[in-house]
Amino acid sequence: MRSVTQDSDGVWTHLSETVLSGYVWNTFRLAMGVGFLTTIIGVGTAWLVTMHSFPGSRGLRWALILPMAIPVYLSAYALTDLLQFSGPVQTWLRNTMQWTHEDYWFPEMRSLPGATVILSLGLYPYVYLAARTGFATQSASVLEAARTLGVGPWGRFFRIALPLARPTIMAGVALVLMETLAEFGAVDYCAVDTFSTGIYRTWVTRGSLVAASQLSVCLLAAVMMLILLETSSRRAARFHHATQRTQRPVATRLPWLWGIAAACSCSIPVLAGFVVPVGQFSWLTLRSGDQRTHELFFELAANSLLLAATASVLTLSCGMILAFARRMTDSPWMAGAIRVAGFGYAVPGGVIAIGILSPLWWLEDQLLTISESQLDWTPGLFLSGSAVAVICGYLVRFMAVPLNVIAAGYERIRPSIDDAARTLGTSGSGLLGRVHLPLLRSSLAAAGLLVFVDVLKELPATLILRPFDFDTLAVRVYQLAADERLSEASTGALAIIAAGILPVVLLTRILDQTSQPANR
Amino acid sequence: MTVEPLIQVNRVSHSFGTLRAVSDVTLSVNSGEIHCLLGPSGSGKSTLLRIIAGLQQQDAGEICIGGETVSDARVHHTAESRAVGFVFQDFALFPHLTVLRNVLFGMSARRSSDSRDQAMKLLTSVGLADRSDSMPHMLSGGEQQRVALARALAPSPHVMLLDEPFSGLDTQLRKEVRNTTLAVLRESGVATLMVTHDQNEARICSDQISVLDHGKLIASGPADKVLTEPNESANSLS
Repeated sequence: MRSVTQDSDGVWTHLSETVLSGYVWNTFRLAMGVGFLTTIIGVGTAWLVTMHSFPGSRGLRWALILPMAIPVYLSAYALTDLLQFSGPVQTWLRNTMQWTHEDYWFPEMRSLPGATVILSLGLYPYVYLAARTGFATQSASVLEAARTLGVGPWGRFFRIALPLARPTIMAGVALVLMETLAEFGAVDYCAVDTFSTGIYRTWVTRGSLVAASQLSVCLLAAVMMLILLETSSRRAARFHHATQRTQRPVATRLPWLWGIAAACSCSIPVLAGFVVPVGQFSWLTLRSGDQRTHELFFELAANSLLLAATASVLTLSCGMILAFARRMTDSPWMAGAIRVAGFGYAVPGGVIAIGILSPLWWLEDQLLTISESQLDWTPGLFLSGSAVAVICGYLVRFMAVPLNVIAAGYERIRPSIDDAARTLGTSGSGLLGRVHLPLLRSSLAAAGLLVFVDVLKELPATLILRPFDFDTLAVRVYQLAADERLSEASTGALAIIAAGILPVVLLTRILDQTSQPANR
Repeated sequence: MTVEPLIQVNRVSHSFGTLRAVSDVTLSVNSGEIHCLLGPSGSGKSTLLRIIAGLQQQDAGEICIGGETVSDARVHHTAESRAVGFVFQDFALFPHLTVLRNVLFGMSARRSSDSRDQAMKLLTSVGLADRSDSMPHMLSGGEQQRVALARALAPSPHVMLLDEPFSGLDTQLRKEVRNTTLAVLRESGVATLMVTHDQNEARICSDQISVLDHGKLIASGPADKVLTEPNESANSLS
């Protein structure tokens, strides 16, 4: 925020005269397009699999979450490679139909519409999950009341189910919009200039931290509005169901023709968002793969795992301390501080990276001055030039994960448990170590896993903050894909996807326990 | 001249897996009559009510409403096409709509001023005209029940089905709401079938009573006769 008043040596003026309006317009169109498409796909599929029974509906209920396992930039690499002019689909079409490039029209994936479709296929699960929860937790008798008042299936959807689930769905859409604003790898690969790519380019190619920070502030303002939207949507969701004695809705069996149509409609996003990218990377890996696998792959994987493990342990420890402090005190200051600590999840990785550099450099300067004057020793760039910077970035970006997961775990531990421990002479660290930690074991494991996988997939903050000559799997895949060496990138991409499937499986289990509708 | 009953249930049976919920039940309800379906929990009362409304399809038997067969082995009209009023046990008010819009929900021309007048008239009859702009969560249990009644009556059905409509209310409120409900039902002249497990409530409310036990109809007739004569029904309810 301090950058707003600083001079960027004319870079900001240059940006505002040349590319800034393009960043604003492209980011806006991308966000609107992705918001619209993800709402259609997410709400439509959630309504079908939650409220109806048809061939494959049980399998599709969890399969529709699978695209979440793939970072959007990897989907972009796979789908663009598959559908571009030199890709297998268009090549097959030309060979089979004897066409030349002038004989047919094919959608261009490296474009704003292409990026919109790719991002929508990767991000719709956020809306799907929100809508599924919204539909599954509605009162069955409310929908039955509409039936007895003469309202048919479409009327029940548009007049009852959709308005009731709207706050939950809006929260999912807000998350999609945040992810869209934060997305760097996919939009960069699709050659769409947005704020996210602009921030990276302003820092890496122009070397202007002030101008990059000023761009970040603009993006941050948009993110703040989305957070407000998401928060108010959640409040509305609580308000609507405050007095309802809910009985879960019953899934009705669709006639076979409608059932086949529903199965096809729900399969398309899974195929395009998961099966095709995974199939494409698997085929590329089997065909050639990373030729430097043995010398480099394990080194990169070790770097990724080291960063992910360190970040997991640190965020989990900080998250646990904060959550415990929140449990022990009713102070609004503590509640406010914890909200701020969780704010990073909504902020794009690139913005966090740029935001961290200035204070880190200042701190490093102070410590270097002290070290040189007092100890006559120059340790070098021990903060900004080491993994400390990138770990700090991950801490800020992913702190919300353990905070939310542990808070959910704490909700299941009744306050009387704490009181019982106190009457038995246990409080403070004893209460934490002997009572809370054992009870929160599964929450901590889930939070650790989620942070671990998020770090493995993270790209923009890693690109900006990583030490020189220190690459991760995600960075390597990005660099190879940018050089059009997708075959070599495929091995690393598959490893990242394989890791990404773990939290999806975890999520599916949790959802199956909480929002399974009855079958008729 | 014989008056044809508005609700006719002929030899209806229904099972959930191996559990026989309704077994060969026959009963009828005439216009303007309040008929109570009495029985202990799990006796099949609510299932029978849902079958009559079309929310559940019976395994065997016939349902006629207004002299027309709406469900048997060959035809099955869906709940939305049967034009019956239904008051649910949990009232099932639409939480995103105001009281007035809840009442207007099932009316065919719900945007017309006539419909609005009609809805307001119904709300006045249940004593809630001044709460028309309130949201359901702002109402007490008794008020919610009366909105549910007004909403079910708004499309002018000939048949009303009430599933334990007073069970969620405390004793004092129950008496007040019951009196209002009965007055409104009597005035509208619809055929009413009401489910309850409370003998006293059945005695106060009904013209006719049918007693169900384990899905079987064990007694049926005028309220005084069914509840005073020593028979199997009295044993099953005690």
